[in-house]
Amino acid sequence: MSLGLRGILNKHNAILSGTSACPGCPENMAMRMLGMGLGKDVVLVVVAGCSSIIQGNAPYNAYNFPTVNVAFAAGPATASGLARAYKQRGKNVTVVVWAGDGGTADIGFASLSGAAERNENILYLCVDNEAYMNSGGQRSGSTPFGAITSTTPEGKKENKKNLPFLMIAHNVPYVATASVGYPHDYIEKLKRAKQIDGFKYLHVLTPDPYGWLFDPSKTVEVAKLAVQTCYWPLFEYINGKLEISSESLHCLDKRTRRPIRDFLSIQGRFKKLSEEQIKVLEQYVDSMWEKLKSML
Amino acid sequence: MMRKIISGNEAVALGVKLARVGVTGIYPITPQTTIIEKLAEMKAKGEIDTEIVRVESEHSAMAATFGAALAGVRAFTATASQGLLYMHEMIWWVAGSRVPVVMVVGTRAVGAPWNIWNEHTDFTSERDSGWIMAFASNPQEALDLTIQAFRISEDERVFLPMMIGMDGFILSHTKTNVLIPDQDQIDGFLPPRRQPYVIDPEDPLGMGNVFPPEGYMRLRESIDSSLRNSEDVIREIGREYSKKINPLGDYSTLNVSYKLDDADYAVVAMGAWAGDAMEAIDVLREKGIRIGLLRIRYLRPWSEKEIREALKDKKGVLVLDRSTSFGRYGGPLYVEIKSTVSDIIPSIKGVVSGLGGVTVTKNDLVYLFNKFVEGMREDVIWYYPKEVGKVELRTPRDIE
Repeated sequence: MSLGLRGILNKHNAILSGTSACPGCPENMAMRMLGMGLGKDVVLVVVAGCSSIIQGNAPYNAYNFPTVNVAFAAGPATASGLARAYKQRGKNVTVVVWAGDGGTADIGFASLSGAAERNENILYLCVDNEAYMNSGGQRSGSTPFGAITSTTPEGKKENKKNLPFLMIAHNVPYVATASVGYPHDYIEKLKRAKQIDGFKYLHVLTPDPYGWLFDPSKTVEVAKLAVQTCYWPLFEYINGKLEISSESLHCLDKRTRRPIRDFLSIQGRFKKLSEEQIKVLEQYVDSMWEKLKSML
Repeated sequence: MMRKIISGNEAVALGVKLARVGVTGIYPITPQTTIIEKLAEMKAKGEIDTEIVRVESEHSAMAATFGAALAGVRAFTATASQGLLYMHEMIWWVAGSRVPVVMVVGTRAVGAPWNIWNEHTDFTSERDSGWIMAFASNPQEALDLTIQAFRISEDERVFLPMMIGMDGFILSHTKTNVLIPDQDQIDGFLPPRRQPYVIDPEDPLGMGNVFPPEGYMRLRESIDSSLRNSEDVIREIGREYSKKINPLGDYSTLNVSYKLDDADYAVVAMGAWAGDAMEAIDVLREKGIRIGLLRIRYLRPWSEKEIREALKDKKGVLVLDRSTSFGRYGGPLYVEIKSTVSDIIPSIKGVVSGLGGVTVTKNDLVYLFNKFVEGMREDVIWYYPKEVGKVELRTPRDIE
C-alpha cells in the first residue's frame, strides 16, 4: 500500500481475495480498512445489502471475521444479543454491525435507535452509498436532494436524512464520520472507537460508481471531493464534545470551501440539476455547517 | 421439589430460572407480559444470573435472542399475538440457522379488530417455520415443557428452536398448584449448552450468507428430517423427565389420551380446553356413550404414528379448533387430523370455536359431543355458545 499506512495498520486481513464486489467498490475498501483499524477479536453482523453479496456464496466467505448475516432490520438487536452473550462468557470481542444506508436510515432505524438508547457495547458502522444499490439503486432516506435514482428518475425532492446528527441526539459515547477517500482518518477513528465502552456509531461515505454514475477508477477521487467540497463533513463526537477532523477544518469558513459543483459535476446522478436546485444543495451544506459550528 | 400456587406465566419464569438461561430478550405484550416482569424482578433481586436485553420491539427480541444463542449461551424470549407476527421474519431466520432457542407464546387473538383474549391462531400460523411446537394444557405442563424444551432444542439429533404455546389468560394468569423442581434436579437433567455453530473470533465462521439453490434446498430438507426425527428425542427426554423430575406428569408420548382405548368416538383438542373436554367426556360416559379424548401436545413434529394408533377403530372423530385457516374448510387441527386418518375413520367432523376469547364451557362441550354422537349434518361448524348478532359489512359504495 502506497498511502503510508504501514506504520499504523493492524496486520489483520479483513477481506480475502475472490469477493463478489463490483469493480471500484467502496464497501470493499471500507471493509479492508476495518481490519486495519480493528484487528482481530471482531465479530461482524451484516444486514441485507451489497455486503451480504460481496462475501460470496456459501460455503465460501471472503470476510476474514466470524460473520452473522441477518434480516434487514435485525442488525443492532442481533449484535446486542451477541455482545451480552460475550459479556456473560467473559470474552472480549468487538461486535460490529455493518449496514448500508437503507438498513440504517430506513428499515433498521428503530432497532438502531433502541440499541443506542440502551448504550449496548457495539460498534455500528454505516456504509453510505446514498441509495439501495444492491437492489438496483432505488432512493433511500439517505439519498441527497436532486439525485436521480431508479425510483426518483426526476431527481429526489427531499434532503438527505442526517444520521450522524440523529445519533448525536441519542447521547451515545461516540459518533464519527469518515470517507473511504481518507483511510488514515477512518482507521484512526476505528481504533479510537474500539477503545470506548458502550455504543459507537461510525458513518462512512462510500461513493458507488454504478449508482452515482462515475467511472469505477474514480471512487477515491469522488470520496475526496465530497469532503473537500464540504458536502461530507468529517468529525468526531466523543462523550459530548465535537471535534472537526483536519481534512474538514477548511469548511468552517464558507470562503475556503471548494465549490459543490466540483462534487456534483463528476457524477451522472446530478446531471439534470438546475441552478436553483444547486442552490438548495448549497443551502443544505451551509445549514449543516452552521449546526456543526453551533456544537463546537 | 416444592409445591406452590402460581400462574402459568410465573411457572414459565421459574422454568427459565431453573434452566440457567444466559440471555433473555424481553418486550412486553399481553398476556405474556408477566413472564418477563417476573424475570426482571428476579434479576433485580439477584436471584438469576441472566443478561436481560430490554429491546424496543418483538422483532428485536427475537433478533437479540438469536444473537445471544449464536454466541453460545442459552437464550429465551416470550411473546404473543401481534408480537409473534412482528417476529415472524426472525422466527424463520432462527430456524434456518439451526440454532437452539426457546420461546413461550401466551396465545392470543390477532387483529384487526383489537382483541386481547385467547385463541390459538397466532401460534398455529407459525407451524411451517421449522420450530418444534408444543402446547401446554396447564401451568405445570408449561413449566415442565419449558425445561424440556432446552434439552430437546440442544439435542444434537435436533438442533432446532422450540416454542411452547400456552392459552392466554386461561393459563397465563390463572394460579394453580405447581410442583417446582429443585435446582439440583434440573442441573442433573439439563447438561451444559451444546450447539452446532458458535460465533467465536477463534473460529471464523460465516452464518447465513447466500446459499446456491441446491444447497438451500438441502438445508430445508435437513430441517424437515431433523424435525421428524425429533419425535423419538422428545419421547426419550420426556421419559427421563417423568422419571427424574416430575413423576406425576407423563411425558413419554408426544400426545396425551384420556379414556380413549375402549372408546367408539374420539375428540381431538389442543391446550387448556382439553380439561373441560375431559369433564364433558365423563358426563357422556355416565350416559353410556363411549367417548374419549386425544390431546395434541406437539403440533410439530406431528406424530402421524401416535395419532393413527390412538384413533384407529373409532367410528368418528370430532376436532376442536381454537384457530382458523381462512378459506379452508375447517381449522388447522381439523385439516391435519383429516389428512392423517381420513382413510381409517368413517366420519371426521370439526368445530371452530373459542376465537377471540369466546368462553366454551363444559356444558357447551357436552352439547357439542352429544350433537356429534347423534350425527352432525355439517362437516364443520362455527359454534357460538350464546346468541350473537351478525357482523356484516356495509353496503359497498363506489369511490372515485
